Amino acid sequence: MDASARVLVADDEEDIRLLVTLAVRRAGCSVVAAVADGAQALAAARVELPDLVVLDVSMPEATGLQVCAALRAEPGTAGCRVLLLSAGASPDDIARGLAAGADAYLAKPFTVAGLVAQVRLLTARDAA
Amino acid sequence: MTALLARPPAAVPGPPATRGRAAPAALAVLALAGVVLLLTGPSLPLAVLGAAAVLASAGELARRLHRLVTAAEELEAQRRDLVTRGRSTAEDLEVATRMMRARAQTMTSVIDAVTEQSIIGTDRDGLVRVWNPGAERMLGLPRADVVRTRTITDFHAPEELDTEAGADDGEDVAPAARFAALVRTAREHGSDVRDWTYLTADGRRLTVSVAITPRTDDEGEQAGWNFVGTDMTEARETERLKDQFVSLISHELRTPLASILGYLELVMDDEEQPLTDEQAQYLGIVERNAQRLLRLVGDLLFTAQVDTGRLTLTPEDVDLAAIVRAAEDTARVTAAARGVAVTVDLPPEGLLARGDALRLGQACDNLVSNAVKFTPSGGQVTLRLRRAWRDADGTLAHADAPGRSPVALLSVSDTGIGIPTGEQGKLFTSFFRASTARRNAVPGVGLGLTITKAITTAHGGTLDVESAEGRGTTFTLALPLLP
Repeated sequence: MDASARVLVADDEEDIRLLVTLAVRRAGCSVVAAVADGAQALAAARVELPDLVVLDVSMPEATGLQVCAALRAEPGTAGCRVLLLSAGASPDDIARGLAAGADAYLAKPFTVAGLVAQVRLLTARDAA
Repeated sequence: MTALLARPPAAVPGPPATRGRAAPAALAVLALAGVVLLLTGPSLPLAVLGAAAVLASAGELARRLHRLVTAAEELEAQRRDLVTRGRSTAEDLEVATRMMRARAQTMTSVIDAVTEQSIIGTDRDGLVRVWNPGAERMLGLPRADVVRTRTITDFHAPEELDTEAGADDGEDVAPAARFAALVRTAREHGSDVRDWTYLTADGRRLTVSVAITPRTDDEGEQAGWNFVGTDMTEARETERLKDQFVSLISHELRTPLASILGYLELVMDDEEQPLTDEQAQYLGIVERNAQRLLRLVGDLLFTAQVDTGRLTLTPEDVDLAAIVRAAEDTARVTAAARGVAVTVDLPPEGLLARGDALRLGQACDNLVSNAVKFTPSGGQVTLRLRRAWRDADGTLAHADAPGRSPVALLSVSDTGIGIPTGEQGKLFTSFFRASTARRNAVPGVGLGLTITKAITTAHGGTLDVESAEGRGTTFTLALPLLP
């Protein structure tokens, strides 16, 4: 785990945003921004250049899949780790998420312990 | 006599009794001629010889005459038979013609009576020959405007036919190629049923389930094609809205459930601020019910996937014994709390099958949790897994033999409340709940067995039930094994 890993959180549901923020902190990381739509997520990522972006798939302005693809297309953000969260849990949903360039995919409802473990894994990889 | 012999045998007149008198008369004439010759002859010996010869000739002639008369009688009998038969054949032909006309009239009236389905018949090239009132109503054109002037492809969305013909976007496709694409599957397999888009005279697009079959003439040669269509526009739209609704609802339910379960986890696992026993108990109830709601959402989504044909499997080698053990593990706590004993009988070496481990586990869990749920305290649930064989006709056998294929048999038996015989056929229908379940207030919505059956079917297996009300139930899941 990298204690200094910086994480951007994007989810249009305020309760989930807070829950993810708490889980990220439990994982020993810092939350550089917690935003409510895809456009804000992309803007914040360009500014903050986080180590990990936790993205909800279904968001206004731009979906998590679109944000993920945009991050991968830009040299400054192409190296960010991306964890997608979604209420869609079918194999097709997961395949679409991974095809958009995500490093991992968690279906809602997730367990906090599971989310903490994923954040640790992705930020540890990032540190390596 | 000459006249009698010259007459065609078939035209011999009169009844046989009259003709029978002709032979003695001829004999008398011949005898008289012989006597005259005898009396006028030159000498007695010659006269005697001549008379004998004449008599012999007369006898021969009489015999020949008799034979001819007999032949004539036979021919007359044949003629009468032929006349009778000819009359009968003509009558038969007339009856057959009348029946054919009646049958054709019946067919026409049946086809004309169909007003909710389009029945369109074409020749081999797609030129319309039959256009029933259902087609008139569905496509908005009278029969007179279509028959022998329009082809079936005129009423199909061209882009669908072009795609079916394998054309690239914008590529010009000949009408004959479009028609060939339309009937290709029916030509290869004898029939084809699927949705096509029909274009109506007023420009509407209809989703129509069309059954295409070849039509043959009276000699069995292909004469054309039949297209029987049912307008599914509203039904398909309803299915689409239902699908959309289920997806929306499941998304809207999953998101708040994520919050409920996530924050519960934070509170219940907070080591710095441990809960009192009472708080832990109450929050445990909240969590259990949130999980129940989550399972219901998952079941609804899964059922919607099955209904729309979107159930996909991820096949791998699966040890079914491990799956049964895991199901027993999952049910153990609930079974113990209810006072139900669970026993397992598994082959020690396991049993490998090809399947989706997650889905097979779900199917097994459903059967085991149902068995526990429907068994009163003190009852028994038995899980048994063994290898068996299936005959070509589907009969199960316990030994291998030529023509048999191996299957895995997983049976889940309970000593529970049972299912009334009359309701067993509906068990696998979505949302169906047996009257015994309702009477005993056993919780559930009636999706578990629907899902289990769908998973089994998707694996090429079968799911059977035997039950006696008040005595118990056995579900048997048979999955094909690799030979």
